[in-house]
Amino acid sequence: MTVLYVLDVADFRPLAEVASKEPDTTVHRRGPYLEVEAAGGIRIERGATGCRNAVWYSSVAAVAGGRVARWDKVELVVEPIDEAP
Amino acid sequence: MSISEQAHVVRGVDHAAFPTFDPRATITFYRDVLGFPVVHATCALGWGPGDHPDFIHFFFDIGNGDRLAFFYYFGVAPYRDAAIPELIHRARHLAIHVDSEEHLLEYRRRLDASDWPCELQVRHETVESIYVTDPNGYLMEITRPLRAITIEDDIDADVSVDALMDVAGEDEPTLEKFFARKATLIAERYMGEAEQVTFA
Repeated sequence: MTVLYVLDVADFRPLAEVASKEPDTTVHRRGPYLEVEAAGGIRIERGATGCRNAVWYSSVAAVAGGRVARWDKVELVVEPIDEAP
Repeated sequence: MSISEQAHVVRGVDHAAFPTFDPRATITFYRDVLGFPVVHATCALGWGPGDHPDFIHFFFDIGNGDRLAFFYYFGVAPYRDAAIPELIHRARHLAIHVDSEEHLLEYRRRLDASDWPCELQVRHETVESIYVTDPNGYLMEITRPLRAITIEDDIDADVSVDALMDVAGEDEPTLEKFFARKATLIAERYMGEAEQVTFA
């Protein structure tokens, strides 16, 4: 299970909204964060978020059960990793 | 009122001070180009140890009662950090606040009409900034807010700094380790049932 947290403010909310359209992906509100959870990896296309450069590259709050495998001007990809037992 | 319980009673910047070896250019830049009023100048015979140079310590008002100050030392050879890496050089800077885009662009106009034109204008995460290198080689930023800072931003900053404290105390800190530590802190602090969010 891969979890991406973004802060629930107008700048970063589009990432959760875009991610939520993918299959097997859910979004919950956890404190001030939006918790994006996916069975596999999480892939978010930058163009679909409308984020400008500085917002895009500061949009990740935290990652659990995964690692950022790609984060460039095209997309953000969080890949699952084996969680410690 | 007692201040024994770590009340936050400081009131911003009194002054930030830097050496200058070119007071004429410094005064031209800050007073005449940017329009920062000169508000104080201490003209002193060398003090303390016998070899302390005579100096002028002069101050510009940078708004809000805050001041930017320079020391000019008579008879001291100019010094610059020649070997400083560009990354570190640009990290050290003073950012002065303006309230609006109109005010930011006014300072850009003043710079662009001078010998020190604006070098860069950037929309960051929460602020938009212009940058210029002053006559002393110091990077200076003027910045305006793009949005209000919310309680969520403040909470996130606290979690980030706590995660950084943990990761920076370990061997080979990385952003990946930071994101993982922060996720653990978020899960601990906001454990329990979470409300599912749907987007219309």
